[in-house]
Amino acid sequence: MKRPLGCLTGAGLLAAALTAAVITATAFASSQKLFSPGELSAASGAPLGGVSTHASLEADCAACHPAFWSAVTMGDRCLGCHTQIADEIGDASRLHGELATPENCRDCHTEHHGRAAGLTTVDQVDFGHDRVGFVLTAHRADLAAPLACRDCHTESLRTLDIQDCAACHFTLDSQFLGDHLLSFGTNCLECHDGIDSYGADWDHATTSFPLLGAHADLVCTRCHLAMHTLEELHRTPQQCIECHAADDLHAGRLGEDCRSCHNPGTWQDATIDHELTGFVLEASHALADCLGCHVDRLWWGIPTTCIGCHAADDHHAGRFGTDCGTCHRPTTWADWSFDHNLAAFRLTGAHINAPCLACHTGGSFRGTPSACGACHAEPSVHAGMFGTSCGTCHSTSAWLPASYNGPHRFPMNHGGAGGSCGRCHTGGLTGYTCYGCHDRAEMADKHSDLGDFSNCMACHPTGDKPEEGGGGGDGDGGDD
Amino acid sequence: MPLVQRNRELILAFLAMLLIGGLYAAASLTAGIPQAGRLLGHSLGVLGFALMLATETLYSLRKRALRRARRRMSEWLQFHIFTGIVGPYLVLLHSAWSFKGLAGIVVLLTVIVVISGFIGRYIYTAVPRTPEGALIEAEELERLIVEAESALRAGRGSAEDPRAMAPTSAWQILVRGPADLVDRVRRWRALRRLDPAARAAAERVDDLRARLRELQRQAASLSTARRLLAVWHTVHIPLGMALFVAAFYHVGAALYFATLQR
Repeated sequence: MKRPLGCLTGAGLLAAALTAAVITATAFASSQKLFSPGELSAASGAPLGGVSTHASLEADCAACHPAFWSAVTMGDRCLGCHTQIADEIGDASRLHGELATPENCRDCHTEHHGRAAGLTTVDQVDFGHDRVGFVLTAHRADLAAPLACRDCHTESLRTLDIQDCAACHFTLDSQFLGDHLLSFGTNCLECHDGIDSYGADWDHATTSFPLLGAHADLVCTRCHLAMHTLEELHRTPQQCIECHAADDLHAGRLGEDCRSCHNPGTWQDATIDHELTGFVLEASHALADCLGCHVDRLWWGIPTTCIGCHAADDHHAGRFGTDCGTCHRPTTWADWSFDHNLAAFRLTGAHINAPCLACHTGGSFRGTPSACGACHAEPSVHAGMFGTSCGTCHSTSAWLPASYNGPHRFPMNHGGAGGSCGRCHTGGLTGYTCYGCHDRAEMADKHSDLGDFSNCMACHPTGDKPEEGGGGGDGDGGDD
Repeated sequence: MPLVQRNRELILAFLAMLLIGGLYAAASLTAGIPQAGRLLGHSLGVLGFALMLATETLYSLRKRALRRARRRMSEWLQFHIFTGIVGPYLVLLHSAWSFKGLAGIVVLLTVIVVISGFIGRYIYTAVPRTPEGALIEAEELERLIVEAESALRAGRGSAEDPRAMAPTSAWQILVRGPADLVDRVRRWRALRRLDPAARAAAERVDDLRARLRELQRQAASLSTARRLLAVWHTVHIPLGMALFVAAFYHVGAALYFATLQR
């Protein structure tokens, strides 16, 4: 036979049965008070459900603990008396609105801890304070020791006296808080939800408008004047002109986007992209002082022509017109170049290197005659025979060689002269000599029958053999 | 057997209580006395009750596990005693020093059962057993006495007649402890006067004589001790059963009222 466990003896089983019977009977007889772990609170309040303290219910456990077979819950029993709390549940604007449900009263409210024990126990570290509309992030992070509920809720956990906020924060920074209260009023919760301190250490860069330059030194109210709610703060203007319209020296002529030229540090330290104005600043213009052109801070309507600013600098006294850029570059006045080809008289040949004033005598650049003869008088060597149309025979490169193709009484290619005038006109164009080629002695011998044979062309007008009856003449030529 | 080794489970239990008590004190100083309904208090209660259940069941199961027995009975008894002390201690701490209602009754019963357990262990040691914890019958006991007497003579010790001072009544069994203590002190003083070499030899003889005296005493009081142990069982087991029934009621009520009921 298998022996039972040592405890399962007759006496043991009897003792177990008796104990169970006694406990069950006592529990029923005492209305379950046998299971009570301790006394109920004697904290008194307004009469609810016929009693003003929980302790008054100590003999009636069922007042709070319904039978396990009942459909009624403990929460129902709580709210059956505490009707005010029942009204708060679901109303987000009230303490129990977001915190409580009919099933979780016991999460915060406990009992059976003695007559003097508190009825509310809140986990001061993990309590979800955000559910009542105020996050404790900053209050937890910035403090060496965690705040206790009563540090802020001095009167009641259900209420918050703003004076308690101020009293504590005055000890942290009285100067700041004093100014802050004057600026923004005393209703801290209108702006502060506990996530940020919004104090001196608050970083405005976390918003969409970082405080740069001179903005960083401003007092809050300079931009947030008379703003008392988060919504109002969020509506703070962010465009430059919205705050700085009165500062606009340009009177709106440069538009409203101050940032295109100015930085947040100071108005004076402006940088403008002059190209946007249609007048690109090149060379010395880029180095010039703004006020050199924008005299009297006149930013609008500034002439864009050279002469508009440089009329006084015009050493040509207007003789070259007003378009300085035709010759001058923006570097210096001395940096210029004139394209004479743009004028009616194109410079070619030796004219290219000729000094301007050789032609433009007297400093006059307009009305300069373009005829050769205006500058080049007919040389004596022409003996007045060719006129002033030099170009008929000469090029602009040099006087010589020249080519004559005009009327000539004698074949210009006689004897293979090839148009070389000097072959015959050795002493000048007004005379000629044949003796350069025809030996004089020989010619004298041949023309011994003629008394005078100096006028060769009289007998040889085409340079051929003499015709019958031709006269003689001196070969040294007569007039041509 | 040295005193420390003979009472190892008691010493270990004492050390465990010191450690747990230290941690409990630190927690109390930091955040107040751990309430029974909070995490730490609950944990103490659950762990303590689990140890008490182990105390009640494992040793009994081992006693009945004849075929596939694991480890010696004496070791199971040591474990039984260890958990039987530490478990109730944790339950006591779980109470948060509030002894009201059924929870208070459970703590009271726990204390009573623990005290009863100490008494039982005291009686238990009066009954001769093998190192494995099995009961030694009268014949075997006589044989051991003869062996011990021979060993003592070989060790040149004079055999007194301990039977004259051996307890035979239940009362004498219960109060043998103080007499043993006085005897120990007397022998220690006598040994202290000897030089080291003589003291070592005398200690060996003394141990043999003590073993003989223990065996003779157990032989003389064998039937009385067994009867006394049976009486103790008769009282201890119902107390333990009452304790566990009350404890289960308490656990059920705590689960229902403090956890399940909303």
